[in-house]
Amino acid sequence: MGGSASLDAMKVHLKAVRRTYGMVAALDGVTAGFEAGTLTAIMGPSGSGKSTLLHCAAGLDRPTEGTVIVDGTDLGTLNEHGLTVLRRERIGFVFQAFNLVSALTAEQNVALPLRLAGRPAAPASVRQALAEVGLADRAGHRPNGLSGGEQQRVAIARALITRPAVVFADEPTGQLDSETSRQVLGMLRGLVDDHGQTMIVVTHDPVTASYADRVIFLEDGRIVDELSGALTAETVAARMAGSC
Amino acid sequence: MLSFATVRERWHSFAGGFVVLFLGMALVSMSVLALASARPRVPDRLAGAPVFVSAPRAERAEGSFAPDRPWSPETVTSLLGRLSAIPGVAQAVPERTFYAQPILDGRPVPSERGYAWSTAMLAPYRLIAGTAPRNGEVVVDRSLGLAPGTRVSVLTAPGPVTYTVSGTVDGPGVFLDDAEAASLSAGVRAIGLVVEPGANVAAIAKSATVISAATEEISATTEDKAGTPSEGSVSGQEPAFAGSPTADATMPPTSVTPSQKVGDVLTGDDRSVLESRDDERTRWIGMQVLTGMFVLSALVSVLVVGSTFAVGVAQRRREFGLLRAVGATPRQVRAMVYGEALVVGVAATAAGVAAGALLAPMLGGVLVDVGFEPAGFTVGLSLLPLAGSFAGGVVLTLVAVWSASRRAARVSPLEALREADVDNRPMPRLRWITGLALCALGVASAVSSDSEGAFVMSGLVAAVGVIAGLALLSPVVVPPVARLASWPFTRGRGAVGMLVRENARSSVRRTAATATPVLVTVGCAVLITGMVQTTAAGFAAVRATTIRANAVIVPDGTPGLTDASGGDSSLFSAVFEANGDPLSVLGATPELLEKAGDTSGPLDVLRPDDRILLADWLAEERGLRPGAVLPVSFEDGTSARLTVAGTVENADADALVSRDLLRRHDPAVLADEAYVVGAAADPGPGARVVDVATYAAEADAEEDRLVWIATLLLVVVSTAYAAVAIVNTMVMSAAGRGRDLEVLRLSGATPRQVRGTVAAESGLVVLLGAGLGLVVALPALFGIRGAFAEAMNAEVPLVIPWPFIGGLIAVCLVLAAGSAVLAATTKVGH
Repeated sequence: MGGSASLDAMKVHLKAVRRTYGMVAALDGVTAGFEAGTLTAIMGPSGSGKSTLLHCAAGLDRPTEGTVIVDGTDLGTLNEHGLTVLRRERIGFVFQAFNLVSALTAEQNVALPLRLAGRPAAPASVRQALAEVGLADRAGHRPNGLSGGEQQRVAIARALITRPAVVFADEPTGQLDSETSRQVLGMLRGLVDDHGQTMIVVTHDPVTASYADRVIFLEDGRIVDELSGALTAETVAARMAGSC
Repeated sequence: MLSFATVRERWHSFAGGFVVLFLGMALVSMSVLALASARPRVPDRLAGAPVFVSAPRAERAEGSFAPDRPWSPETVTSLLGRLSAIPGVAQAVPERTFYAQPILDGRPVPSERGYAWSTAMLAPYRLIAGTAPRNGEVVVDRSLGLAPGTRVSVLTAPGPVTYTVSGTVDGPGVFLDDAEAASLSAGVRAIGLVVEPGANVAAIAKSATVISAATEEISATTEDKAGTPSEGSVSGQEPAFAGSPTADATMPPTSVTPSQKVGDVLTGDDRSVLESRDDERTRWIGMQVLTGMFVLSALVSVLVVGSTFAVGVAQRRREFGLLRAVGATPRQVRAMVYGEALVVGVAATAAGVAAGALLAPMLGGVLVDVGFEPAGFTVGLSLLPLAGSFAGGVVLTLVAVWSASRRAARVSPLEALREADVDNRPMPRLRWITGLALCALGVASAVSSDSEGAFVMSGLVAAVGVIAGLALLSPVVVPPVARLASWPFTRGRGAVGMLVRENARSSVRRTAATATPVLVTVGCAVLITGMVQTTAAGFAAVRATTIRANAVIVPDGTPGLTDASGGDSSLFSAVFEANGDPLSVLGATPELLEKAGDTSGPLDVLRPDDRILLADWLAEERGLRPGAVLPVSFEDGTSARLTVAGTVENADADALVSRDLLRRHDPAVLADEAYVVGAAADPGPGARVVDVATYAAEADAEEDRLVWIATLLLVVVSTAYAAVAIVNTMVMSAAGRGRDLEVLRLSGATPRQVRGTVAAESGLVVLLGAGLGLVVALPALFGIRGAFAEAMNAEVPLVIPWPFIGGLIAVCLVLAAGSAVLAATTKVGH
């Protein structure tokens, strides 16, 4: 992973992205690049457009104007099926809650993207993914037998099973207590540091954001500020307060 | 993998679909098995003769049970001679049956068939005690408990006759000696060949075929034999029309001598066509009922399973969104829903078909008891109907989830990120269009045709159209109505009222899903039961106004009245045209027609013997004017040439002849009722005297009973489905709103208040559905009644079985409130 911020090193690149719902512009001309092997946090108050930014960047939603490039592919050129395949192959997701299919065991949930792709899900690699999130012994449990933190870790294992170019996380610790949050966030940080995983996290929590290499502040659909370097929850919170 | 796992894990959201499919397929497979078993059987009393020759069977319209033309007496004699000459035939026995009902302890016994003694060998029935009957003697079923030598009174068409019991047999019925039996029987329609032991049945059948194809016999029933005296009854008619100028024009001889056979040779199972017309009719009614049950079950299964899956999909949008987000294509999501349906469908259908197979034998007994299948009917198990039901059930399931699977596939991956399930998705456009179209059709049908005859139909179409349309539009229609209906709840200060009102309004889908089955069930039940009962009451009212007598003699434990019962009666029978087509004919007297009915025309001509009055429409259709000659043959096989004396309006048959003439040519037929002016004499056993009002109400009691049972069956089946749908909706939605109830608890509601809210809410929704159903069905019923009254020119009361409808609504209420409370309790309990 090179240190240069050239376009090629960008795993995800948004160019002048606008997304309007009726008369309301949820994203109003956002341009941003997300470097390989970094953890970026997107922050902003409710309604600032941070969720919409995630949806557009991850191919869950289509921008009204502008271009989104993920891992070298312009999402605008893909049809619904192409987008689905791209999500399956190149993107991992961790949501705030209800990340798992309740009918499936942890192991089956992790294997799901591979099975959907019609690829053989080698039990060894699935176990390996679970082991990486520290849940090797919980493979046969269903989601309702797992704690909230464990569920999030299963979701992380699932997000990583396809070795995606980028992982998107939407408030990944929103429903967790602070101790469990720390564990999960440490794990995400470790993936970036140890495996060079690219990760984009949407959050309104300064603690979560403090684990990031860079924080982007959004307001009224526009990027209003950016922070990078050594971050603490306090500096992030102070900047947030300042920008509001 | 995912489908299996999902069904296993989320069984509660599939339980409703499973139960409905299970019930539906049990009913379907039972109906199919019964339909497959409902084939004519060889009557026991004919089972001993391997070969029969029967009079040719006429082609009949579906649902018509007009008799075939019997052979003429000459043909019978000739056939008997030639058939008994076939090598290996021990005896050729003409089948003669007639009305004969012994009276024991002053009451007619249930068995009412009499037979010529020689036919006993067709079964064969054997003498258990005593000897064969001679003139004035009778052999009876030993189960009557009459010993040889006792004297017994037997009702026959002319009246009661006292016989001496000469013996008893091991079969049902009454046996008279052949000559006496012949005088009571209609013409012969079948001859059984009793063969010698070891005879070659195939060879005998072949010889019989040659004989019954013989062409010289054809003329026996046509012109040149017309008027031939048969047992001395028709002689003396010939001169009456000898000089008729139109005789040749109306009856060209060529038209009656097609190359038809004298008879059909029947062997093996083909002999089953010899079953009685009554049994055939009963089976036909049974077929209608079973088919109705089958179609209804299948249809409602599809609808309920479809809506169950639709609700399930609506509740799992987030899950489908998640799947889409992690890379499932819409096609994969769709396949998943189909997979789930397949798992449920295969399991439920297999269980349902197995249950159907187990229960089918019991159904057979019930059908016989109720009168939808003839005695002796049993439901046999066969593979094909079961396999067909199974395959059908699985296909049905897949068809049912078609729409739900499409909806699931359209779920956007963004749904995975939704915070809460907000129940405000708009209705699909197709549903809008179909719902509005059905309502429009209903309204159009109600507004437009008022023409005679079609009124019942248009009323039905109107109501069914609007009911189906409303059912489809329920997500749009129900909430505003709910707001209106829940107005009283807002007056109080309690939280429950407010919660009930707001919940019913805001959870559109749950409200609609509960109200819709109630709407459909109550609407259809009121409409159908009300229509059946109003129509029956209407006919009774019409009858009452057209009877001009003081009292009516009606059968009492007998199939009809004997000539000795007294009063004025008519005989309803058939005559056959030269080509064998039957015409219904009423043997009546002018006096009788004065007393009952609206028949008008030159009724006085019914006094001479050789005249026939035709129904106006028939005369017009055939171009028969007064003076024309109509050659006919009668039930006893003899022929006559009758002069058309005129036409009548509003006749109850195709033609009218004098009662005496018809009785001479049909010694077997019984009268349905007799009218009495002044004081009625004692009609004797097997009949009773009732006043006109009672008669009018009772006249079609048996038919009304069958119709009513069939109606109840349909309503009960559809109510059962509605019940399943309601319970299912309650249980499924409770699963989906556990959090809501939790919040309610946390904000200070006592468990009792939660239960109260849930119960009141479901009760409100059920009453809403019931109210909508009534609002649609009642005007339609009023319309039907009005049109009916106009057409009948009589006062027709609107009869609705309110206790029944009330019970139905109560069942829905209890089920909805009960299951909702139960589901809520288990949710909030822990």
